[in-house]
Amino acid sequence: MANNKLMNTLKHAVKTLRVGMVSAVITSAFISANVSAEEIGYAEKEELKFGFIKLTDMAPLAVAYEKGFFEEEGLYVTLEAQANWKVLLDRVIDGQLDGAHMLAGQPLGATIGYGTKADIITAFSMDLNGNAITVSNDIWAQMKKHVPHEGGKPVHPIKADALKPVVDDYKSKGKPFKMGMVFPVSTHNYELRYWLAAGGIHPGYYAPHKGDTSGQISAEALLSVTPPPQMPATMEAGTIYGYCVGEPWNQQAVFKGIGVPVVTDYEIWKDNPEKVFGVSKTWAEKNPNTHIRVVKAMIRAAMWLDENNNANRPEAVKILAKSQYVGADYEVIANSMTGTFEYEKGDKRDVPDFNVFFRYNATYPFYSDAIWYLTQMRRWGQISEPKSDSWYKDIAKQVYRPDIYAQAAKSLIAEGKAKASEFPEFASETGFKSPQKHFIDNIVYDGSQPNAYLDKFAIGLKNDSKL
Amino acid sequence: MKDNQMKNTPHLELTQVGIDFPTPKGPFTALQNVNLKIKKGEFISLIGHSGCGKSTVLNIVAGLYQATTGGVILDSKEVNEPGPERAVVFQNHSLLPWLSAYKNVELAVKQTQKGRSKKEIKEWVEHNLELVHMSHAADKLPAEISGGMKQRVGIARALAMEPKVLLMDEPFGALDALTRAHLQDSVMEIHAELGNTVIMITHDVDEAVLLSDRIVMMTNGPEATIGEILPIELERPRNRIALADDPKYNHYRSEVLKFLYEKQRKVESVSEHKAKKVQDKNTKETDVA
Amino acid sequence: MIKQNAIPTIIHQVKGFQWPNIGQLLGAAALPIVGIVVFLGLWSLMAKNIDTSLGQFPGPAAVWEQTTTLVDEHNAQMDKADKFYERQEIRNAARVAKDPSYQPKIRAFTGAPTFFQQIWTSLYTVMVGFIVASLIAIPLGIVCGLSKNAYTAINPLIQLFKPVSPLAWLPLVTMVVSAVYVSSDPMFSKSFITSAVTVALCCLWPTLINTAVGVSSIDKDLLNVSKVLRLNALSHVTTIVLPSSIPAIFTGLRLSLGIGWMVLIAAEMLAQNPGLGKFVWDEFQNGSSESLARIMVAVLTIGLIGFILDRVMLVIQRKVSWDKNAVLR
Repeated sequence: MANNKLMNTLKHAVKTLRVGMVSAVITSAFISANVSAEEIGYAEKEELKFGFIKLTDMAPLAVAYEKGFFEEEGLYVTLEAQANWKVLLDRVIDGQLDGAHMLAGQPLGATIGYGTKADIITAFSMDLNGNAITVSNDIWAQMKKHVPHEGGKPVHPIKADALKPVVDDYKSKGKPFKMGMVFPVSTHNYELRYWLAAGGIHPGYYAPHKGDTSGQISAEALLSVTPPPQMPATMEAGTIYGYCVGEPWNQQAVFKGIGVPVVTDYEIWKDNPEKVFGVSKTWAEKNPNTHIRVVKAMIRAAMWLDENNNANRPEAVKILAKSQYVGADYEVIANSMTGTFEYEKGDKRDVPDFNVFFRYNATYPFYSDAIWYLTQMRRWGQISEPKSDSWYKDIAKQVYRPDIYAQAAKSLIAEGKAKASEFPEFASETGFKSPQKHFIDNIVYDGSQPNAYLDKFAIGLKNDSKL
Repeated sequence: MKDNQMKNTPHLELTQVGIDFPTPKGPFTALQNVNLKIKKGEFISLIGHSGCGKSTVLNIVAGLYQATTGGVILDSKEVNEPGPERAVVFQNHSLLPWLSAYKNVELAVKQTQKGRSKKEIKEWVEHNLELVHMSHAADKLPAEISGGMKQRVGIARALAMEPKVLLMDEPFGALDALTRAHLQDSVMEIHAELGNTVIMITHDVDEAVLLSDRIVMMTNGPEATIGEILPIELERPRNRIALADDPKYNHYRSEVLKFLYEKQRKVESVSEHKAKKVQDKNTKETDVA
Repeated sequence: MIKQNAIPTIIHQVKGFQWPNIGQLLGAAALPIVGIVVFLGLWSLMAKNIDTSLGQFPGPAAVWEQTTTLVDEHNAQMDKADKFYERQEIRNAARVAKDPSYQPKIRAFTGAPTFFQQIWTSLYTVMVGFIVASLIAIPLGIVCGLSKNAYTAINPLIQLFKPVSPLAWLPLVTMVVSAVYVSSDPMFSKSFITSAVTVALCCLWPTLINTAVGVSSIDKDLLNVSKVLRLNALSHVTTIVLPSSIPAIFTGLRLSLGIGWMVLIAAEMLAQNPGLGKFVWDEFQNGSSESLARIMVAVLTIGLIGFILDRVMLVIQRKVSWDKNAVLR
């Protein structure tokens, strides 16, 4: 076996050299000799299985499959829907899945050992935005009184200030106010918490060092986990009064007439990073070429999704509506995917950037995005100990791998499938976005100073506080 | 011939046989002090009320039960396990329902006469079926033939083992009167031809007198034992019609009846009576089938 | 005169001959049809009156429509598979042209399994689990039936595990399979092993118990026959024990297969293992306006397959069992 592998590797190396030399000779007249360096070897593992959760932001995977981008990289990919985020993560860890559509917090949470401890990395960010917070009809009726109106329509963004009196009312009656999110380290959990806290509603702390992972310590709104596709049904059953989830499960509530989306995550934090494509670190080390090729295919899918001002979106919706992908009705998926978003029934507004797959460097794994999630983990106690700024950077660099992304992008550029201008300047890119201002509470986020950022919040653990 | 044999050392001997069955209240002595010497070729009937331990005696001879006291000696060898030299014909034929009549007999032949060639086995099976007049139904399954026919096959199977002693546990008890008479005639024929030693349990006085050389009458249990032994000195071959008016026959008959209904009169409890009725009913149903 | 008389007589005879036949036909074919028609009627009536958040509850028409859709989807997917293989061949050829040492390899189609493929997966899984369980349960049952000591030793375990819901096993089985079944080139997928083992765990008990009871209640006379014939242990089992307990064993097997089929569907739903259960769960999660009708198709299919499996077992039982008169239903 070992001998065989060695032989293969040798053959491979010889082959790569030969191909490289030939192509260098042929193309040197036209393109810089760089090309041969960017030539990616054949995939080490060609038959792959990727997991996903039934959400519209899995689109890059479905598109890369249906449009043949995976096959063009010599990859034979099977896509498989997973029951929930935990199962998905466990399957990536134990190798049943080669990779998966993940919550940005999952590779980070796994790496720092919050939940299952495992080394998961990501070289590809799947999208920006795409989530919303929905409340039940009943809660909306109570909230609506406190929402400013203009021309008969509520003024957006709606802040949690409008929800605060409702929560206070529940509190005075001794009734718990319950909401759903999809996973403890999910974007949705942090977004919902951010929104609630910005409106003065305490979403509760975690205390893993005391064995308390409910996240409900001193909470005014009790958040619990529900898998995305079951959100509408759970709210309909009255178990939760509202939830934060990705599409199409907010639009589904509108269609079913059981709830009203009140705020999109675009309004909570403009162009926030959402899902990532996660693989286990050992898998990535064993299959470096495969990994780069996967990222290549997915970059192409993301480009296709955003091409010509979302021109391909209707076709993408058709793909997603297939029962093996998202499976919801075309109209429901189209509502958000084609640049609109329906709040209250009939109140359909243009949100062209509700789902961003490629533009604004959406696919590049920024360290600052990773650090934002880490700050929120610290803010709500999932990280129980104070950490230094350099710790945040180290973890981000362990998990987020722009180096792999850059190799994939450069290869695409060399093949003429993408333009260099569509990507960040790889040579100078630090991985830190300049301070971001567009948060619902107007607090500015600078990824290079996580502890200073934490100090700015009224609700939440500070740098040195401990439960 | 017969007289000669009688003078020989006993062929089958039961000495001080007794048996205890464990019960929650302590051992229950079903049998005790059973002593019986049987000559080669003799036809013995065991008769007695139900529950008197007739079947227990038979089972001890068969080796299916182990005597607590005393023992059984067959041709100078002690009996302590079942074996084909003491073939048993069970009350309910006990043929393997999934095998044809032929295969049932064949199983016994193959198992007990391992030296035989295939051809010899076939001939021997056919011979024994012939003996009980069952050749015509050799390929029938037990469920496809009548109760009497099943019992014939059961006898053929037992005979095919070439037993030293043939043990029959109420072999005709489950049959209607006509079938029973036919079978009794067959058994007499076979006995005349083969000269096996036979121990038969019966409830039927006529059957006992008709078939036996000696009738062993048992007292009621618990602690049952042999009450009387009645030698039947009637000429063989015996003919049931001729015997019907024979004073000797009728004398024997009344002797047995006197033993059963005067000396060993048994008052059945109501529950036992009911149980017996149910059993009778089942028997009838079997006949119809 | 004669003719006049003859005709009514013939008619009379014909009538007298045909009437009972029609009655039999009514009983044999018409009554179930009446039952089905009444059921369909009630179903569509009720369906119209049940409004769910996914739209109206599907009636027979909607279910039939989805059945045809599922067939169409299956055919479309098969076409896609053909094209997938064509593309792969071209790609392999191109790679060989570039690198002659490359050994071309055909990878299986990567598309999502269709409804019919899911049916096949479930059937295959349940059969494997069932057969494995039977291979364990029948011999063990025979041992328990033959030896009172073995039965006394094993009985507490049987009683303890028998009432355990199969789904309680599932997490344990999943973790154990993940830990133990490690192979770089696995012959079976882990999900298949997990499902099959779960099915086997649940199929074990009815067969085991029924076999043990069947063996221990063999006619005493038959056992005595065996003793008189001095059958050795092996021929005792093969000539007496097995044949006489076949009806009991089959009763257990049929119960087991029925349970196994139900368990498998539930396990597939819970563990997201491929099969009909996953189909149902996926459709439920999709929450499209067609989902309920598609689930209904699956429900009816599951029932139909369960019914067919039982009938097949019955036919086998009739073939194998000596007791042709036993009433089997």
